[in-house]
Amino acid sequence: MSDLAKVEVSGRIARLVINRPEIRNALSVELLEALHARVDELVRREDVSVLLVTGEGKAFCAGMDLKHVIDDPAPEAPARLLLSLAELTLKLRDLPMVTCAIVNGAAIGGGCGLVCVCDLAVTHESSKMGFPEVDLGVCPAVVAPWLVRKIGAGRARRVLLSGGLMSGREAYEIGIVDAVVGEPEALAGAGVEMARRLAEGGPAALRATKHLLNELDGSLEGGVVRRGAELSARVIGLEETRARLREKFGASPGNRP
Amino acid sequence: MIRVADDGPVRVITLARAEKRNALTPEMLAEVTRVVKEAPASTRVIVLAGEGSVFCAGFDLALCAAHPDGSVMRALLSGLSALIISLRDFPGCVVVAAQGGAIAGGCAMLGGADVVVTDRGAKFGYPVLRIGVSPAVSAPFLGVGAGFGPARARMLDTGLIDAERARAVGLVHEVVDGPGGVLARAMEVAKGLAEKPPTAIATTKGWLNEIEDGLRGVTPERGLAVSMGLTGGDEEREGLMRAVRR
Repeated sequence: MSDLAKVEVSGRIARLVINRPEIRNALSVELLEALHARVDELVRREDVSVLLVTGEGKAFCAGMDLKHVIDDPAPEAPARLLLSLAELTLKLRDLPMVTCAIVNGAAIGGGCGLVCVCDLAVTHESSKMGFPEVDLGVCPAVVAPWLVRKIGAGRARRVLLSGGLMSGREAYEIGIVDAVVGEPEALAGAGVEMARRLAEGGPAALRATKHLLNELDGSLEGGVVRRGAELSARVIGLEETRARLREKFGASPGNRP
Repeated sequence: MIRVADDGPVRVITLARAEKRNALTPEMLAEVTRVVKEAPASTRVIVLAGEGSVFCAGFDLALCAAHPDGSVMRALLSGLSALIISLRDFPGCVVVAAQGGAIAGGCAMLGGADVVVTDRGAKFGYPVLRIGVSPAVSAPFLGVGAGFGPARARMLDTGLIDAERARAVGLVHEVVDGPGGVLARAMEVAKGLAEKPPTAIATTKGWLNEIEDGLRGVTPERGLAVSMGLTGGDEEREGLMRAVRR
C-alpha cells in the first residue's frame, strides 16, 4: 500500500507523489488510504514548510475510481470512498505547511478537487482539468466547497453545472490554478522555483498565516464536506446513475471521471 | 410586459418593455416569478432575456415617484427578492442573456443566474445610492457570488463596470463581441445544459445553494429588510424626483 503514495523530503521542501500511473492515479480506497497515511506523517514534520503535491506519470489524478465502485456489490462502497476523499481533503487543507499542487497532467473530478484544496497550484497550458461529474449523472458535492473557496461561488456554479473539461490555460484564467507554464517540460522547473520562493517565508509566519486563512474561509468546519460526501454517495447509489456509469465507462479502465 | 416561450426543455422568459429599457414594474416581477414557479416539469433550463438594446435598466423610477408613500418601491423590492429566490429554487439551470448590461434591479436579478452571457459593450452596477435607495436587497447574493471585496465596491460606488470586469469578478461568465449575439449564445448554452442528467444538475445546484447559504453571513430577508427600511423616506422621495426630472 505504501507505494501508492510517496513522500520525499529535501530540506524544508517535501513532495507528495500520487503513484498509481497505470490507471492515471485514479483514487481507489487503497490509494486514498495510502494518501491518508502519508498526510498523517506530514502533519508531524515541523522541519517541512512547503509541500508539493503531484502525480506520477502522465496524469495528476484522473478522479474517483468509479469503475471500481460500480463493480463493488457492497451498497456502502460509494459512501466509503467519498467519505475517505472528504476526510483526506480536510486533512490536506489542515496541514501546517503551505501546499502547492504541481498539476503535471489530467486533474479531473476529485483530482481537480485535490488541486483546489492545495493553497496554490501550477500547471502547463495543455493539461486537462475540470469537473465532468454532472455529465456522468454524478454530483461533485465533496469538491464543491473547495472550488467555491478557490474561485468564488459565481464562477463555481458555472463550472460545476456545465461539466466538461478545460485546458490548463483556461483553469488559470478562471483561477483554479495560480500560475501556468507553456510546455509540460517547463513545469518541473516552475515547481522547483515556486517551492523555493514559498520556502523563503518564515516557517512560523507561514504556518500562522495559513491557519488564519483556513479559519477565515471556513476550511476547518468539516461538516459541509462530510455532508457533501453523503449527498454524492446518495446520487451514485441511484439506479439511474449506476446504469449511466456502467454504460459510460463500463469495461474501460483508465478512463475515469 | 413579459413573454414566455417554451422551446422543448428550455423556457425562455423575455422582459418585453424595450421602450423603457425593460424597466421593472411590480407586475412584471410577479409575472416572471409566477412563470418560473409554474414551469412544466419537462423544463430543464430557464433563459431570462430582455427585448431591445439593454437586458434591464432596473426599477421603473417614474412609477415609484408617482407613489410618494413608497408603496411601489416596496412592492418592487419584495418582488425582486422573491424572483431571485424562485430562480435559485428552480431545480434546473438559469441562463441570463444580458445584452447591453444589467443595472440596479436588473443587476440584482443576476443573483438568480447560474450562467450569464453578455457582450463586450455592456455595463453593470448599482447607481441607486444616488437616489437614496439601498442595494442591500442584492448584497446577500452578490457578496457570495462575486466575493465580498468586489461586492462592497459595486454596492457603495455608484459607477458602472464593463463586461470584462464583470467577468473577472464572476458576475458574468461569457462575453460575446456584439449585443446581437448574446441571446443566440445564451440559447446554445441553455440547450447544452438541458441535455445534462437532471438529477445530477438539481442535486448539484441545490448543494451549491446550501454552500452559499452557509457563507452568506446575512439572509436574503435581512438584505430586503435593510432596503425596505429606507423606503418612503425624504431622501428617497427627493432622489426619485431628481431622477424622473432628468
